[in-house]
Amino acid sequence: MAAEVKPIANTLHTPSEEHEELREQLMFDPRPREELNRMVLDSMTHTTPRYWTAVGVLTVLVLTLLLGMWGYLIFTGIGISGERRPNYWGIFIVTFVFWIGISHAGTFVSAILRVFKAEFRRPFTRAAELMTTFGLAAGALWPLIHLGRVWVFYWMIPYPNARWLWPNFRSPLVWDLLAITTYLLSSTIYLFLPLLPDLAMARDRTTGWRHAIYRALALGWRGTEAEWARLRKAISIFAFAIIPVMFSVHTIVSWDFAMGMVGGWNSTIFGPYFIIGAILSGVSAVITILVVLRATLKNMTYFIRPEHIDALGKLVLVFSMAWAYFFFNDYLVQWYGGHDVVRALLSFHASGPDAWIWYCMLLFNIVIPWLTLWNKKLRRTPWVMLVVTLLINVGMYFERYTIIPLTLGHQRMPFDWGEYSPRFPEISLALGSLCLFMLLYLLASRLIPMVPVWEVREGQEAHLVRKVGKTVVPTVSELD
Amino acid sequence: MAEQIKEQVNERWGMVIDMNLCTGCNACVTACAMENNIPWVGEDDAGYGRGIYWMRIQRYWEGEYPETTPSYQPVMCQQCGHAPCEPVCPVFATVHSEEEQINLQVYNRCIGTRYCANNCPYFARSFNWFDYSYQIPEPLNYYLNPNVTVRRRGVMEKCTFCVQRIHAGQEQAKAQGRAVRDGEVVPACAQACPADAIIFGDLSDPNSRVSQAARSQRSYTLLEALGTEPKVIYLKGEGTYGG
Amino acid sequence: MARRIIHLALFKEDQVDETAEALEALRGMGIVDRDISVISGTPFSEKMLGRPMTWTRVPIIAIAGAVVGFLVAAFLNFGTPLLYPIRVGGMALQTIPTSFVIFFELTMLGLLISTFIGVFVESISPSYGPAGYDPRISDGQIGVLFWAPPELDPKLHETLTGLGAEIIHGTETKKLWLF
Repeated sequence: MAAEVKPIANTLHTPSEEHEELREQLMFDPRPREELNRMVLDSMTHTTPRYWTAVGVLTVLVLTLLLGMWGYLIFTGIGISGERRPNYWGIFIVTFVFWIGISHAGTFVSAILRVFKAEFRRPFTRAAELMTTFGLAAGALWPLIHLGRVWVFYWMIPYPNARWLWPNFRSPLVWDLLAITTYLLSSTIYLFLPLLPDLAMARDRTTGWRHAIYRALALGWRGTEAEWARLRKAISIFAFAIIPVMFSVHTIVSWDFAMGMVGGWNSTIFGPYFIIGAILSGVSAVITILVVLRATLKNMTYFIRPEHIDALGKLVLVFSMAWAYFFFNDYLVQWYGGHDVVRALLSFHASGPDAWIWYCMLLFNIVIPWLTLWNKKLRRTPWVMLVVTLLINVGMYFERYTIIPLTLGHQRMPFDWGEYSPRFPEISLALGSLCLFMLLYLLASRLIPMVPVWEVREGQEAHLVRKVGKTVVPTVSELD
Repeated sequence: MAEQIKEQVNERWGMVIDMNLCTGCNACVTACAMENNIPWVGEDDAGYGRGIYWMRIQRYWEGEYPETTPSYQPVMCQQCGHAPCEPVCPVFATVHSEEEQINLQVYNRCIGTRYCANNCPYFARSFNWFDYSYQIPEPLNYYLNPNVTVRRRGVMEKCTFCVQRIHAGQEQAKAQGRAVRDGEVVPACAQACPADAIIFGDLSDPNSRVSQAARSQRSYTLLEALGTEPKVIYLKGEGTYGG
Repeated sequence: MARRIIHLALFKEDQVDETAEALEALRGMGIVDRDISVISGTPFSEKMLGRPMTWTRVPIIAIAGAVVGFLVAAFLNFGTPLLYPIRVGGMALQTIPTSFVIFFELTMLGLLISTFIGVFVESISPSYGPAGYDPRISDGQIGVLFWAPPELDPKLHETLTGLGAEIIHGTETKKLWLF
């Protein structure tokens, strides 16, 4: 390390006066690795009565709202939902698209930001990756819930049936199955690989059942050069390969609609439009979760700071603008040159009985983020960001609602126009899947290190200050 | 492969519906329900929009009240040549039949994704929201047609051009060592139509009644611009009988 | 070979330079790179420590998996429609545009799963360098594990402790995984 550059790690406990403002940043506020380990382990083992109450309540809700209602649905029939001709798809598919969208954030944050070496990603890659995995778990339930005969769902899996008939590989639903399986498996592995050193850390510092779990999962990690090199290689293969997979997943979800002959769906821009929407809702959800983690998980105020929420807030603003651009593109082209059916549909969205959904979508996805996220002070205020990001996700849910039932109900044969309103079983299942997501997240927050300690430490070692003229500026050296 | 298939194909079933003759009496809808074991879903569900119809009479009102005239149009599965419902099914539950050149629904293979119903621009498909077959009270179950599957809950169903009648006609002709005669195969709706507005037959035979009717200047198909190549051809009505 | 005593020199978190020097010194004493292994809690590249490049078969396994995935996709796309030909929507039996989707997904699935399998298999395979571990490694300390002939002992001590290392002899090879 060059002489004029001063590694902060050497001056752990002596912050110099002039660098004081830099210490607001996690990377310039280093603590010994031992302390970081202790803080993370502490956050995993520290449980309050409030935590157990939340776990208990969520478990009961998952058992009743989700599993109980699903059982009832299976035994009686899809008829208990509000679906009817011509709205054959409703809340089931809306919620499916919503969760798959949420699941895009983890990969976006930890793969794209990793590839572009965005340093602010370091403390929350794990939190975002977990969101991907659990979002997919909650989302992958929905195509099953939706099926008329879920007990034969495996007929979609590529293997020949008793008459040697294979599934139809020209159906977007089979593509969906393949894409979601690929994404679920690869994002789970992508969660697991950078976890290895942290699992080894937890293995060295725990006893009893925790030690047994971590020992099994850490695969005998010692931290040898070969292990690090292999891990780095595997992570970089994943970071580059999982990005196109992520793009393909939501593109294929959009193709479920765009491949159809339904007016308003058959649009060439649906692929990128859905991806941008997914990233918008996903990154917003990451902020929501970070704010909640910061407030509830022990020691997280050290790891997750306003600077991180600020940086993600900028991304949300950018994606909100991109979403508006794609939305307008889709809208104007359909309005100007589209068939009568699409024009009628667009005025139905804006002035039909459910027009409030369409206006709320625009308000939450465009107006509110554009008005608030310009402001650095607001971006650094956790509760403001919590409200804004929750509203964005409500807006994105409304977007999918507009695209699915509100479009299906207004097609080419006016005789078959129809309205859709969800019934209690569907709402119960949707809330149940939200509870499932929160429950999985709550449990995981106490089981696996929520902060990738080694990545934070690597970042802190890579960050230095350099004197330029009369001031000091942060620099980052590339350690890999 | 393609040549083999071509050799097998000798008939192309089609239908002509003369809107000048249709009075909107719903006899075809009733006959269809009886022939094809179409379940009665109950008052509440039917009112909610879950009625199962393989064909229905679309009724539109024309003109301003009180000078209104109804217009009726029987619509069923149009048996598209390029059916949008077919490729989207993940399990090949709805397929193009090479034999009859119609669009078939395989109930036992259907898993109920309802994608086909969304993708049908004619809304010709109905879904079994509940197990309606259990709701038939005891002596009434004798009305069920043994030639047609009784559908269970969670599967899609639609008009088949009474494929069971097509097969019966073909088998009878084969047993007597002759070709199927024009007018020999009649689906339930055509049989029941008191005005003879529905003509059914082989479109590949230029002399059949249906082919002659299809060549009328009044003929059109529904949503022709979509390129679905329907096998149901309508003859435009002149508003004389409300048709 | 396994009888040989393994020495572990532990350096503090920020003593990367000293570690590199220590490695240089060990090599100077005639200990070859094969008999040395560095373990650390944060990743250091081989270049930083002046060590020979490590190699891994993970990329090759990953590419092999991708090829398998591609071949499976080819079969599903173009093979299965021939096994049971069914016409849908006026399309050909084997459609090229839709095949790209299947090719992409299954190639990626093969690539990513086999990457993981590569990491997994290499992780649980026995390594040939000196084994040994100390929980302080995951606290960020840097450990140098090596085999050395007994006659070098005094010289080792002098050099390594001079660089600020803590030396543990015969570090126990604790069971770190299931077997």
